[in-house]
Amino acid sequence: MLKPTTLAIVLAGGRVDELNVLTYFRPKSAVPFGGFGRVIDFSLSNLMNSGIEQVALLSQYRSFSLINHIGTGAAWDMVGRYRHVSILPPFIGNDAADWYRGSADAVYKNLDFVKYHKPEEILIISGDHIYKMDYLDLIEYHYEKGADLTIAFTKVPQDEAHRFGLASLDDEDGIRGGRVTDYQEKPQNPQSNWASMTVMCFKPEVLYRALEENQAGESFHFGQDIIPMLLQGQYKVYGYKFDGYWGYTRTINEYWQSSMDLLGSEPLIDLDKWVFRTNLDHRQIRDNEPLLLGDSAVVTNSLIYNGCKVGGTVKNSILFPGVHVKSGATVENSVLFFNNIVGEGSHLNKVVSDVNNSFGPGSVVGAEVSDEGADVTVLGGNNQIPEKTHIGVGATVYPEIADKRWPEHVDSGEVLR
Amino acid sequence: MRKAKESLVLLLAGGAGSRLNILVQKRAKPAVPFGGIYRIIDFSLSNVMNSGLQKVGVLTQYKPLSLMDHLSTGEAWDFTGRNRGIQILPPRTGELDSDWYKGTADAVRRNLDYIKSNPADEVVILSGDHIYHMDLDAMIEFHRSKRADVTIAMMVVPKSEIHQFGAGITDKFDRIVDWEEKPKEPKTNLASMGIYVFDYNYLIDTLSKDKEEVDFGMHILQRAIRNDNVFAYPFYGYWRDVGTIQSYWEANMDVIRKDSGISPQKWNIRTNIETMGRFADRPPARFGFNARVKSSLISAGSNIQGEVINSVLAPGVTVEEGAIVKDSVLFADCMVKKGAVVDYSILDKGGHIGAGAVVGTGDNHSTVNKLNPSHLYTGITLIGKGSEVPAEQKIGRNCVINSSVKEQDYPGKSIEDGESLFSRS
Repeated sequence: MLKPTTLAIVLAGGRVDELNVLTYFRPKSAVPFGGFGRVIDFSLSNLMNSGIEQVALLSQYRSFSLINHIGTGAAWDMVGRYRHVSILPPFIGNDAADWYRGSADAVYKNLDFVKYHKPEEILIISGDHIYKMDYLDLIEYHYEKGADLTIAFTKVPQDEAHRFGLASLDDEDGIRGGRVTDYQEKPQNPQSNWASMTVMCFKPEVLYRALEENQAGESFHFGQDIIPMLLQGQYKVYGYKFDGYWGYTRTINEYWQSSMDLLGSEPLIDLDKWVFRTNLDHRQIRDNEPLLLGDSAVVTNSLIYNGCKVGGTVKNSILFPGVHVKSGATVENSVLFFNNIVGEGSHLNKVVSDVNNSFGPGSVVGAEVSDEGADVTVLGGNNQIPEKTHIGVGATVYPEIADKRWPEHVDSGEVLR
Repeated sequence: MRKAKESLVLLLAGGAGSRLNILVQKRAKPAVPFGGIYRIIDFSLSNVMNSGLQKVGVLTQYKPLSLMDHLSTGEAWDFTGRNRGIQILPPRTGELDSDWYKGTADAVRRNLDYIKSNPADEVVILSGDHIYHMDLDAMIEFHRSKRADVTIAMMVVPKSEIHQFGAGITDKFDRIVDWEEKPKEPKTNLASMGIYVFDYNYLIDTLSKDKEEVDFGMHILQRAIRNDNVFAYPFYGYWRDVGTIQSYWEANMDVIRKDSGISPQKWNIRTNIETMGRFADRPPARFGFNARVKSSLISAGSNIQGEVINSVLAPGVTVEEGAIVKDSVLFADCMVKKGAVVDYSILDKGGHIGAGAVVGTGDNHSTVNKLNPSHLYTGITLIGKGSEVPAEQKIGRNCVINSSVKEQDYPGKSIEDGESLFSRS
């Protein structure tokens, strides 16, 4: 029987401080996205659509949400004789009393698992990004070049470049890719704007050797340590050039922008065409009845999943299962996670609201008049916002604010803890 | 603590439901889609699940493939596990090759071996044809407290409708003292819902008596009422047979209407989204800049650029700009092209309505369907599974466009009220 040869390792454990209240109870990869899924579903759907079905997932921060989400892996067809998804939580080593000290350390600590599968190539990817890629094309390029390591790069705006791992690439294969001549992790003065997408295909023995050597150091990250180490050691490191959509969601404003890219008549992120899959057993979203629209509902340019009830107005917004927009309420330019209730006459504009929030009747959140440049107002989950509360533009509300601590006004830019 | 009762469930899912016309051309009535993402049988199965019952035999006969695909392992209704199970019981002939099930009791009798190999205290017999929400656990409790041999779920219906049902006359202790099967001049308005709880041994005994007794309502129950302990379990609430096109359409509309009494979500109705290759595994419904929608039920995977009023849409329906869908039920993956109108119609799976076409023209709802006047007489038009309606085509009221009709099958640009059209290939 033809057995799979690729082992994929998904780095899914990270928490990002800038995403703040949305990653209070979950790793970044488990942040809801797209009206019913999670950020990590893009990577998992890419793996499924690439036919890569041996998958390991490295988790660390608040794993529960992620473990729940992955379930058996059946949602991505990762159940079968040679198909699996294994979650590798951190453990304490024999010698060192430490948890994962970085992405490279996390893989190192699980090398026994990796070697057991005898992979012919190892694909290491981040679970934090929004894109559609055929990994097989990258792996094919990796073999064409006889590379030790092949990394996917995409162009980012020059003024953003300092936030990424950047490579200098030659034009050996034109728009397809080229040799990596230099690599710097988040440099202050970027010389290039080819950003690493954290999609890396390794020759196994090269990876094993690099991880072993890296253990002697003090920093244990792929971008910061492993890639520069291989370049220095004259290994063949190639860049695979990607020119599709790449969404990164490191800040609330970026999260909001990526969400808005789901909308419009020609959406940049087209979940249907991308064959995006999520686990419908997570939060039992499969059990929701279809969206119910009332007789005064107005819905334009929006994505709304089953289990929602809309009596009011919804514009340019994304509603996850279980959201109720009562009659007379208006939700615009917003992303409402599972089970938000928007009371009669409330107005939400440019809001990202985590799960189980209820907005009392007549509350006003975000700009009353739309303003393109306005900051996003973000609310952590499990909040009961009293009626007629005003929450200003760009305010941040932490999860589970006690009832008696709610002021009548939360000012613009204020942080309510 | 509430402990689940160990009663065996038999679900009769073999009926053709032929009055549903082309909706049952390719599937049995229990497998007919309903309420966007559900199928009719989901209501019975979910009632069984929510009542804590764990063992179900499903008796099939007519066009079972779609149904079997939908039931799959039964996991959607939590019927997998050590003591749980759903078993599809295909029809089997008796002594002669030609004798299919002659009635409900005959169907159960032919599966006595299944019943005997699954010992229980009671056998619950239900049909997979109805839209309702009922706690079967409470009914079994009632059955036990009455020390009944048989308990029949019954509800009050308008006298004008009782002729379709078995009708029971009860005393003040809910004991059924007299029975009329489909009475023309009824003495009562208490109708049987076709849901029975039998004492396990009593059922085996009574079915073993006379093989000519092939129907529960006509034979078995009437003898039981004369000789044994038969009680009526009163049911109050939403219950629909959805056996006709009109009642099927109305029940779908009930899901949209507030206070109609039906709520799949509140009732905890489950479905199998993986039927037909994960047919409901789709992204959220998308609404365009010019979408106009109200009073509707819209499933994930739909794409609404035009107008949808008072309609029920299954997953994957596209309504293009300038198109109007009104008072209609659309099954999965229907396409309504630019400027087309669908009015008071039911579109089976994959129906394709060309640009500028009108399905349901004019106001004449009274010219009944010529081929099947008893199926279509209220104005509803049916478009069959995978059928095409060409661009600019006009189709009247009470029309039937059969499954797989293609553009070349149309005789002209207009199909008159009451006409039917078949595929020529």
